Amino acid sequence: MRRSTPLTIVMLAALAYFLLPLFWLVVASTKSTEDLFTTFGLWFSDAPQFLTNVGSTLTYDDGVFVRWLRNTVIYAVVSASGAALLAAAAGYGFAKFRFRGQAIMSSAVLGAIMVPATALAIPTYLLFAQVGLVNTPWAIILPSLVSPFGFYLMRVYAQDAVPDSLLEAARLDGAGEVRIFFQIGLRLLAPGLVTVVLFTLVATWNNYFLPLIMLNDPNLYPVTVGLAAWSAQAAGGGSGGNSDILALLLTGSTLSVLPLMAAFLLLQRYWQSGLAAGSVKQ
Amino acid sequence: MPGSPQFTRRSFLAATGVAALGTALGGCGSSGTAPAAAVAPVSQADIDKAMATPTELTFWTWVPDIDQEVALFQRKYPAIKVTVVNAGRGTPAYTKLRTALQAGTGAPDVSQIEFQYIPTFTITDSLLDLRPYGAEALRDKFIDWTWGQVSGQGGEVWAIPQDTGPLGLLYRQDIFDRHGLKPPATWDEFADAARKLHAADPQVFLTNLAGNQAAAWHGLMWQTGAKPYTVSGASDISIKVNDEASKKLAKFWGGLAQEGVIGTEADFTDGWYAALNNGKYATWITAAWGPVFLAGAAKSTAGLWRAAPLPQWNAAKPASGNWGGSTTAVVKTTRNPIAAAIFAQFLNSDPESAKLFATKQFFFPATKALVADPGFVGDTPAFFGGQQVNKVFADVGSTVDPTFGWPPFLDQVVTDWTETVGKSLTAKTDAVAALDQWQSRITTFAQGQGFTVR
Repeated sequence: MRRSTPLTIVMLAALAYFLLPLFWLVVASTKSTEDLFTTFGLWFSDAPQFLTNVGSTLTYDDGVFVRWLRNTVIYAVVSASGAALLAAAAGYGFAKFRFRGQAIMSSAVLGAIMVPATALAIPTYLLFAQVGLVNTPWAIILPSLVSPFGFYLMRVYAQDAVPDSLLEAARLDGAGEVRIFFQIGLRLLAPGLVTVVLFTLVATWNNYFLPLIMLNDPNLYPVTVGLAAWSAQAAGGGSGGNSDILALLLTGSTLSVLPLMAAFLLLQRYWQSGLAAGSVKQ
Repeated sequence: MPGSPQFTRRSFLAATGVAALGTALGGCGSSGTAPAAAVAPVSQADIDKAMATPTELTFWTWVPDIDQEVALFQRKYPAIKVTVVNAGRGTPAYTKLRTALQAGTGAPDVSQIEFQYIPTFTITDSLLDLRPYGAEALRDKFIDWTWGQVSGQGGEVWAIPQDTGPLGLLYRQDIFDRHGLKPPATWDEFADAARKLHAADPQVFLTNLAGNQAAAWHGLMWQTGAKPYTVSGASDISIKVNDEASKKLAKFWGGLAQEGVIGTEADFTDGWYAALNNGKYATWITAAWGPVFLAGAAKSTAGLWRAAPLPQWNAAKPASGNWGGSTTAVVKTTRNPIAAAIFAQFLNSDPESAKLFATKQFFFPATKALVADPGFVGDTPAFFGGQQVNKVFADVGSTVDPTFGWPPFLDQVVTDWTETVGKSLTAKTDAVAALDQWQSRITTFAQGQGFTVR
């Protein structure tokens, strides 16, 4: 492959476009509220105080930020593993079995990809209110458990990754369908599974509108809603406005993206092989 | 009533529901169209009984450390347990409240609501009229205009005022001194000063009128004497955001923006905070909560700021408007209306509790007693060079017109303002023409929602 100078420049520009905001965030989280307004935004101030900021962020309001972070981890991990498992089971079933209504059901699920989750948030709230699930963790986890996109991905992946002959051999040896799925299917599906886990993890981690309307108790908030509340308090003016909290807001934002970055770096091996699945028909 | 040719406004509102309005104007289905119960006062015996019965109240508020004031209430009424929930502030908090009201479950008993949002909740019949619980008796304790803000068209008392934001002018004494300026008494003097200052130092503007801040614009409309929104009856509204007073305002600010002698950048943003710190703007037209906010946001300029009343259109008849401030309202679905109503009243009218808001949360008070309290108005913050800043704003507060009203679809009005008038300020186009666009957009929206616009 030949090096192309224009292309390199375009890629460098893209790199800067994506990395600069992150760099700004990291720099900003080392500043006091006063330095935020009086020093150059893209470089450190004379008195960096990242650890002080982290300390105040974690202890502000009896450590509410730590609770938010813990909630986000719980919501995201439970939702992601549950969604991956459900998507794998459904995708495997659709790929490896023939049953009545398969085409219609499959189209229905594919159509659901087109409906943004935000549009469903308020109807979901009304339903959950009927059964008393609002203002509980289930209100966040249950809607996140179904991932139409994950289903689609797993279905395509299962078609190629799980050979029919292997399943037949297992059946001839007397294994039941459930055992075949868990002991053979799931293992072969692992790379695709990781991809779905990552997708759902990111989606739940970043979910804002659903928890915003579902949860009233700040002790149940995920980081997204909590930081938005701080932001409103810092920047609204009006009664109770308090710009001192801006430094905590920025530090909190930095802290809240670190776990996702770690998850991506750790799982990227799997996720790359998952992404390419189904791109070439074999 | 699908199929019926004539939708009533309420059924239409209910049908369009949450999605169409963005914010749920849709009525609370269960409350139906039953007329509000006649105002029969609740007897003192009933109140005493309710206040001695073990009761739990949920209170949504965004006020930091409000537990201190709530504790005063619980000391007086140990049977009532109040759970304080910080449910956030601004549009997200109201969305949450509306969603809970819509679902008929999950709403609090008592909620913090800003003055300008009260009509967006009374239109859906979601607030409790506090008159039967003795709210009328509190009228004289509160500054006139604040009581006007919480009063309904039928004389209902929809909420109890907690804090306020009468408009004044904060200015940089050092910049004024350097250029031989003094706080302008009239808007004409203000315009002259703006031109003079910018000509003398092109890096500096006399002020910034943010193109994203519809609340400040409404405060200035209020001062000018505009009466943009008048609701009468259940579904009649008069919309006049482009009346003579508003046109005068738009011509003034649009002209200064077109000349380029004032700033129009968005407020509460990075650049705006920096500008307040580095002296790009010599004044901030702001509310009574502004001084404390500024002292936190512009620490590097401590000692350089002073406060003055707003410049006037008619110096012989000083007037001001309001920006911000909030109230405590009781949500109609509460199962404990007496305890909730007494709580809302105690929190804001009990002298000790009201004073705590002024000294701990630095709220600008809504009670007449506090704005006359030497301990409050005599405060001399060093950030303002020892000036009695509270005194300046306390005096301004008595010049605010009590009859200014808000529309029942405020979010839409704000969005439309930003896209028309706000945009014309930043783009330096004709602000008066933008006012007409604003008027026609709101009118169309109101008609679409089933209002009769007059």
